[in-house]
Amino acid sequence: MPMDSKQVEQLLEKYWNCETSLEEERTLRDYFRGKVPENLSEVASLFQYFESQQQKEIVSADFDAQVKQQIRQHRPKGKVVNLTFALRIAAGLLVVMVATYFVRLEIRKSYSAEVADTYSDPQLALEETKKALLMLSKGFSKAQKEAGKLKVFNEAEQKIQGKVLDSESETEGQI
Amino acid sequence: MLEDFENRVLPTKNKLFRFAFRLLGSSEEAKDVVQEVLIKVWNGRENLTAIQNIEAWCMRITKNLALDRLRSRQRRATNPIEAVAEIKNETLTPHERTEIHEHMQRITEMIAALPEKQRQVIHLRDVEGYSYNEICEILELDMNQVKVNLFRARNTVREKFVKINAYGL
Repeated sequence: MPMDSKQVEQLLEKYWNCETSLEEERTLRDYFRGKVPENLSEVASLFQYFESQQQKEIVSADFDAQVKQQIRQHRPKGKVVNLTFALRIAAGLLVVMVATYFVRLEIRKSYSAEVADTYSDPQLALEETKKALLMLSKGFSKAQKEAGKLKVFNEAEQKIQGKVLDSESETEGQI
Repeated sequence: MLEDFENRVLPTKNKLFRFAFRLLGSSEEAKDVVQEVLIKVWNGRENLTAIQNIEAWCMRITKNLALDRLRSRQRRATNPIEAVAEIKNETLTPHERTEIHEHMQRITEMIAALPEKQRQVIHLRDVEGYSYNEICEILELDMNQVKVNLFRARNTVREKFVKINAYGL
């Protein structure tokens, strides 16, 4: 059924307002396939564009065969994603482990000086130990001597207190 | 089962391809997406009997996979403007470039420049001739959103036409 230009204009107006049915849109497409007035040439090319787009196809002769082959030997792709996810976690763990290792290494290094043996000859070690103990006892005797001086203060203090106590008891006796 | 797949799923391949191409602007990538979709559908073939509209189902998977690609491409791209330019150039095959007239090229650019959702809706309606209900199903949108997007898309095209006529560009 050929349309006059008035009908076309009306239908187009409906089209722009999204009020056309699929059927009416097909009618428009059919109409614009033919010769149209100059003022509608732009719109005509729009509908021709739509139609030309619908004819686009996959340019690959063996596409179906490829798909069928992939279907036969397919391993689910989800596992690849899971693997990368697992790898990420593994990488994270590795970083933590390596970091821990180095930190421990540092800590050990700072303690190692105290733990290590200084002498290999037992005789020499004994001499050194004696020397060290001697030094310690020297220190002690020196300290004792100094502490002896404290005794003088102590005695003096006791004497003073003793006198005070004596005089106090004397006055009490008098009362 | 394979026969069923060949009769009901495989024939949708060109529609899937066109839709993926509309989103990605690259026929190589669109082809990869279609392959991915078909394999995905095949792997889920046990559930296929429960699906009423297999074609719409396949289109929906195509949309999702194509958008995934688009997102990861955008994430990789240092310059998003380049990606847009790439789409514009590739939407025309060499054949089309020489054969079809200027109007057509302008329309191609117009459609390519539309926002993603509008481009999807106008493609599904005006190129493929899907019903509004099917478009809702494919795009996982409600009727109102589909109609708004289609209206905006058509309106943009219309306004461009008016401008062209007014200034004789």
